[in-house]
Amino acid sequence: MSAIEMRNIVKEYGDGFKAVNDISLDIADGEFMILVGPSGCGKSTLLRMIVGLEDITSGDMLIGGNRVNEKAPRDRNLSMVFQNYALYPHLTVFENIAFPLRLMKGITEDEIKTRVREAASMLELNEHLDRKPANLSGGQRQRVAMGRAIVRQVNAFLFDEPLSNLDAKLRGQMRTEISRMQRRLGTTTVYVTHDQTEAMTLGDRVAVLRRGYLQQVASPRELYEQPVNMFVAGFIGSPPMNFLPAVVTGDRLKLPFLEVEVPAVAAGKVTDGQLLIAGIRPEHFEDARVIDSSKRERGKVFRAQVDVTEWLGDSQYAYIPFDANPEVAKQLAELAAELDSEALRSQLIISIDAMSRLRENHEGEFWADTRRMHLFDPKTGENLTRDEAAAADLASLEEEELRERMEQPR
Amino acid sequence: MKASRSTQLFWIAGAILIILYALIPVFWIVSLSFKAGDDITNKQFLPTVWSWENYKTVFSSDLFTTALRNSVGMSIIATTISVILATLAAYAISRLEFPGKRAVLGVALAITVFPVIAIATPLFNLWRTIGLYDTWLGLIIPYLSYSLPLSVYVLSAFFREIPWEMEQAAQVDGATAWQAFRRVIVPLATPGVFTAAILTFFAVWNDFVFGITLTSSEAARPVPAALAFFQGASQFSQPTAPIAAAAVVVTIPIVILVLLFQRKIVAGLTNGAVKG
Repeated sequence: MSAIEMRNIVKEYGDGFKAVNDISLDIADGEFMILVGPSGCGKSTLLRMIVGLEDITSGDMLIGGNRVNEKAPRDRNLSMVFQNYALYPHLTVFENIAFPLRLMKGITEDEIKTRVREAASMLELNEHLDRKPANLSGGQRQRVAMGRAIVRQVNAFLFDEPLSNLDAKLRGQMRTEISRMQRRLGTTTVYVTHDQTEAMTLGDRVAVLRRGYLQQVASPRELYEQPVNMFVAGFIGSPPMNFLPAVVTGDRLKLPFLEVEVPAVAAGKVTDGQLLIAGIRPEHFEDARVIDSSKRERGKVFRAQVDVTEWLGDSQYAYIPFDANPEVAKQLAELAAELDSEALRSQLIISIDAMSRLRENHEGEFWADTRRMHLFDPKTGENLTRDEAAAADLASLEEEELRERMEQPR
Repeated sequence: MKASRSTQLFWIAGAILIILYALIPVFWIVSLSFKAGDDITNKQFLPTVWSWENYKTVFSSDLFTTALRNSVGMSIIATTISVILATLAAYAISRLEFPGKRAVLGVALAITVFPVIAIATPLFNLWRTIGLYDTWLGLIIPYLSYSLPLSVYVLSAFFREIPWEMEQAAQVDGATAWQAFRRVIVPLATPGVFTAAILTFFAVWNDFVFGITLTSSEAARPVPAALAFFQGASQFSQPTAPIAAAAVVVTIPIVILVLLFQRKIVAGLTNGAVKG
């Protein structure tokens, strides 16, 4: 178990393309760190630089306080679970798990047996030990790959999108399994994913990357509630945050459907007539008819025509088209392209009570929790309404939680 | 269903035709080898009396038994060296980036189509000068130079099929480059290694040109060349039947080899390594 420190890590390819750009990141001992971002953001490259499969162009990589830049993968004492598992097909499950132990010097056959059995029973692989990987299901192969990772005492576990090849149901189960295993072993873990559910549920902290640059490192809660910029705000959350054009007129903001006061935090940062982008999460809307009056006063109510509704049983989404001015529309399209999605039209996606009997192509009355709205500078994408005090609060909460967990006897 | 049935019949008929085409000469040789004395002029496919006489002749002649020893020895040595070198070379070609990589493969392919007879005479003169003429080594060297490129070519194709992650996983698990190669890559490339080995063995075993030009005595003469020196019962009769018997004898190891390793030469050993 060790802390991992990255200082100004850069990865530049032969053609001058920088896949990872000046990333500094400290991962505490025992922490579960998630690297997340759209494809091509450099998250896998960064992970492979930690494990040593990719050379570091410049910067320092420290594991447990020692610089490892020039060390071969085998000298870093890390274990990794690959996206496609990379099991050894000619070996049985037992031998696959035992493989790292067999390469160690001065370990007896008996000890290998006990340790493999220990790892196998933790992952419920005991009855498959004599089988070959070809005869296993996807989930079992995944567990073998994990067994191979946990059988040694390593400085850290590295996961490269380990669940992306599993079907949705199994993915949920394995996610819990990974989380439980990491909590139990208390080993520092770096986990690469593009799946936000995994990012939000597994990590103590999440590092969001974009085009090789680090955007924000924070607890899932902080990322969600206090994003530093529009990219993070748009990336975290599903369905994504709604972005609306907002024009400053005096001390008020004009949005499609709504008009609100300029929030106090942002008051000094905006000028009259400036165009901003407002971000409101789908769940901060509600059908005005089902909201109680005390809550109603805290937000704004507006009328709008619903285009399409999606009823999912436990929740319901409504789509409300609106006209965005061309400048904002272009900005949003660019952002959407970067987030691996496509903004086909400018529309509000709002999450409303599943009991609400809203009808498509009818006008409805909606309520928006405008206190939780964020304002972004359209040019830089910077969040003008980020509450630093609240963010610091959340960060210290997370730190405390980790400390508590590490001190617990296992 | 009817259409598929007729195509099925077509394929079966075709297969039988091809098998017959390939096997009739073999049966003919086998049949010849069992015809004793003047029976080979009996003008029919099968011998009138089945006789082991020719086999006795073959094994009682020193010419054949020493040649057989030469053939077996040289084939095994040449195959082993060739496969080991080819495995290392092919691994380098498939995994490393170095200038002239394509040229190496291109030249390897070119060598395999180079006519053997063209270098037989120069080698004859060279070997006589430096004392390699009529020795095992004198034959093994040209065998290697012809079989190595082919083996490299076959093996590099196999290595390319092995996912990179296998090796990376091994490295992360604590293996050195050599351990990763030996414990993971080579076992996965076994079908390729066996294919290369068998191809090399066939090529060396069947060689006639080098065998006849680069030898003068029983010291190194392999079976195919030795057959040319067979003598009949009298100098007026052709030793056709004993040659046929010898040919049958040298074919047997090849058949056994193929039957043994047939199961090893199956693709898809990497099943289950990665999702796919």
